[in-house]
Amino acid sequence: MVKITALMVLKCTPEGADPVILANASDLSSFGFFQRPSVKEFIVFVGRTVARRTPPGQRQSVQHEEYKVHSYNQNGLCALGFMDDHYPVRSAFSLLNKVLDEYQKNFGDSWKTVEADNSQQWPYLSEALTKFQDPAEADKLLKIQRELDETKIILHKTIDSVLARGEKLDSLVEKSSDLSAASQMFYKQAKKTNQCCTIL
Amino acid sequence: MSVKSGNASIRDRTQEFLGIAERVKKSVSPQNGPTSSGSKREEPPRPAMAMQSEFNRRASKIGFGIHQTSQKLAKLAKLAKRTSVFDDPTMEIQELTAVIKQDITALNSAVVDLQYLSNSRNESGNISSDTTTHSTTVVDDLKNRLMSATKEFKEVLTMRTENLKVHENRRQLFSSSASQNPSNPFVRQRPLAAKSAASNSAAPPLPWANGAQSSSQLFPKNQMDGESQPLLQQQQNQQQQQMVPLQDSYMQSRAEALQNVESTIHELSNIFNQLATLVSQQGEIAIRIDENMDDTLANVEGAQGALLKYLNSISSNWWLMIKIFFVLMFFLMIFLFFVA
Repeated sequence: MVKITALMVLKCTPEGADPVILANASDLSSFGFFQRPSVKEFIVFVGRTVARRTPPGQRQSVQHEEYKVHSYNQNGLCALGFMDDHYPVRSAFSLLNKVLDEYQKNFGDSWKTVEADNSQQWPYLSEALTKFQDPAEADKLLKIQRELDETKIILHKTIDSVLARGEKLDSLVEKSSDLSAASQMFYKQAKKTNQCCTIL
Repeated sequence: MSVKSGNASIRDRTQEFLGIAERVKKSVSPQNGPTSSGSKREEPPRPAMAMQSEFNRRASKIGFGIHQTSQKLAKLAKLAKRTSVFDDPTMEIQELTAVIKQDITALNSAVVDLQYLSNSRNESGNISSDTTTHSTTVVDDLKNRLMSATKEFKEVLTMRTENLKVHENRRQLFSSSASQNPSNPFVRQRPLAAKSAASNSAAPPLPWANGAQSSSQLFPKNQMDGESQPLLQQQQNQQQQQMVPLQDSYMQSRAEALQNVESTIHELSNIFNQLATLVSQQGEIAIRIDENMDDTLANVEGAQGALLKYLNSISSNWWLMIKIFFVLMFFLMIFLFFVA
């Protein structure tokens, strides 16, 4: 279905030089074992290029073969996501926002001084990669919309069952009114038999 | 030199005039050699005639152009009136508008040139006052016609804008979520129009769309404040031309999602209201059932009491037994009486 292949955080210098990778997490399970290193290289290279071309304060989506690369540059700190075509663009960008906020919280401003590629893993990024394979997780709007739709379905079912209940109540009221009429007849009959046979 | 079909009010009668002038000359001064005077006389008139015919040619061309433009304008007016909500020939209308605008500007400059030419000729050559008045009249006529064509053009554009507004309103009446879409073309055009300052053919619809656009752009949320500043900066930079539509589409998609959520919540509240109505009605039905059952219970209890009394009266009524005994005796008597 929809899939995130990789997430990266880079530091984008204003001009010229290559961006520096600050964190990288990728899910290469869909590729064969021997293709993985080359795919990783490809991801790194494309990530650097796209990050270099994204001006600060801008979001960008680039279509590359069958992937869409979404990048968001926030004052020099750039987050990239490699997703397939079905991943909704909005959730992608909200995911990138979240990653950037988390990075800022964790590392403060220390990223500004980093000059070489950081090869350590940032566990948050890898969990984010697995957690946000489902676009609804990343984008609250999508989640809310989905839940609202489910609620609507449930409500429709409720209304159907309430209507069925209404029908049953109608039949019950018919039967009870018949019953009360019958009991009234019964009472009158009983009184009649009691009254007229005293002579005999 | 002869005028083409469309505009026949400027006719070139120079030849007739020359013929009459020659005849008059021949009749007035027969002693002069007809050839030399004719040739000499023809020399001065010829440049003047040439210029006059040049003037006439240009005037006739301009008149024809105005006529064609007014025909195109009529077609545009028909198209603009015809637009329905779904079958909107926007592209054709915009193309036609651009073409007509170009024509009008070209004709305007041509008329100005013509006027300049006639003025220069009036100062240079020795031409009769008739020619001068004729040329000034012609120029004025052309200018008036061009002005009326321009006015019609403006009216057609205003009518088109009003039609678009009406369609927009009707579309909003029928679908609340599709209201973003009609303003999208104007969103794309707004940053592009700000960059390419002049010669945007869709200029009249734009000022109208600008007001509607700012409200729908201010609608979404937190990051937008940070991005609206770079957005303004980007407008100057030609390289970022792709970025601005992307930012707009991002914000618009968020706005659209929010509106969807809001409408879903409205629908949910509707459903809840209906549910409440149904349940209260059914509650009333349940109360009626309860009353019926109570009535039935009362009736049955009364009937049971009556039957019980009856049973008592039957089971313990010795007076009844005596009556039965007497009836039996009576029948026995009668039976014995008849048989024996």
